[in-house]
Amino acid sequence: MRPYAESCVLFSVMARKHIKISARMLFTWFMLGGLILLFAPQNWTNKFQFVFTRVFSWPLSISRAVSLSVRARQMSTDVVSRDDYDRLQNHLANVMQELDQERKKVETLSGLHNRPVLEGAKFVLADIITNSVGGMGKTFIINRGQSDGLAKDQFVLGDNSVIGTVSAVSSRTAEVKLIIDSTSNMAVTIGELNVNRIMEGDGRNSAKVRMLSIKHQVKVGDNVYACKKGGFLDTPFIVGKVAQCKRDDVNPSLWDITVKPACNIDGINGVAVLIMNPQN
Amino acid sequence: MQWLRFAVIVVAAMLLQAGMVDVVAIAGIKFDLLLILLVFFAVYRSAADAIIASFAIGFAADIIGSAIGPQTISFGLFGTLLAYLNGIIAVRRMPYQSLVIAVVSLLAGVLALLLTLFKGLPTPPHAFPVLLGTSLYSAAVGPYLFLPLLWLIDVRAHHFYRR
Repeated sequence: MRPYAESCVLFSVMARKHIKISARMLFTWFMLGGLILLFAPQNWTNKFQFVFTRVFSWPLSISRAVSLSVRARQMSTDVVSRDDYDRLQNHLANVMQELDQERKKVETLSGLHNRPVLEGAKFVLADIITNSVGGMGKTFIINRGQSDGLAKDQFVLGDNSVIGTVSAVSSRTAEVKLIIDSTSNMAVTIGELNVNRIMEGDGRNSAKVRMLSIKHQVKVGDNVYACKKGGFLDTPFIVGKVAQCKRDDVNPSLWDITVKPACNIDGINGVAVLIMNPQN
Repeated sequence: MQWLRFAVIVVAAMLLQAGMVDVVAIAGIKFDLLLILLVFFAVYRSAADAIIASFAIGFAADIIGSAIGPQTISFGLFGTLLAYLNGIIAVRRMPYQSLVIAVVSLLAGVLALLLTLFKGLPTPPHAFPVLLGTSLYSAAVGPYLFLPLLWLIDVRAHHFYRR
């Protein structure tokens, strides 16, 4: 910028021709552009974010890896054994739940041919390019997209537990909305209870289950399972554990249940997207 | 201004903000590199440069954020206001720079949250305490980042003048 041009800017147009634009005009144009972006549909403007993560996937992955390794070093006392422990616990919970489902089916359809619920399902492994860059949202961008068979609302697993769902997809990348995101809503069931309730993320590191009457027995440590969802999940899958269970402040006849994710979401390097009915 | 250098600095800030800043987060609160850049360009460049830089940095913040639009407008608006105010009161000393970063961060953050709500998108709970923490953290870190930025953008003494 030249010193004399304090409140205007020069743009070169076609070789040596210059256009002088006042600062007010610049502000008006940019503000108009900003308003267009604000009112443009979200699925159009998402493309800017997907392009950025695709172009800079390599440095974003490195910065995430550095961030994770620093955090892991800070918690080096239990992080490795804890992860393994959580993974095995989640696997056990899922197998038990699957076994229970199979047992029920055998009881009702005894004698008929049946197949395991997850047989034929496809797990698409994906690396996390970056986590929610927005600062306050809780999302991941992963390096798999429509071309890998991903679609909106598919369940995303990490360390054998559901950590979120696919919220937006482009051809090669996808956004995963985590269960702790404040806009996340997922149907869940708690422990042995035969009732489904909605679990909502609290935007920090846990989720909440409300609208459950205190007549139901819930205790700290109970497993919380994502409910079956046609075409997306054929068997309940572990999501988390009850971390706190108290009476709701507003309506004491209901529980206010805090659910901690079944795995350390911050420490996850890769995820698997569950595709129940793969096309090929 | 050297716009290529500006673009490289903004992209580097986006990449750092997207991942590396987590390393120095305190209780989940991170400082906002892009906001610090916004204040830097509003303070050290001419009004026209500051307007372009403010909207570009706002758009960059939206790209690494949750929605496109809110921060483009809020950063653009407050960056422009700050650029004009800087013509009346030059912000040279570090404590004043900290104060300016804190105030701009709060105002731009609140406007961005309101625009996000206006767009029909949900905002995270406890957004205001997080915003306050981010403002204070950015205010504490920002003036120290101005020194390397001055060197990178090559702002000499004669470029810093009152408008």
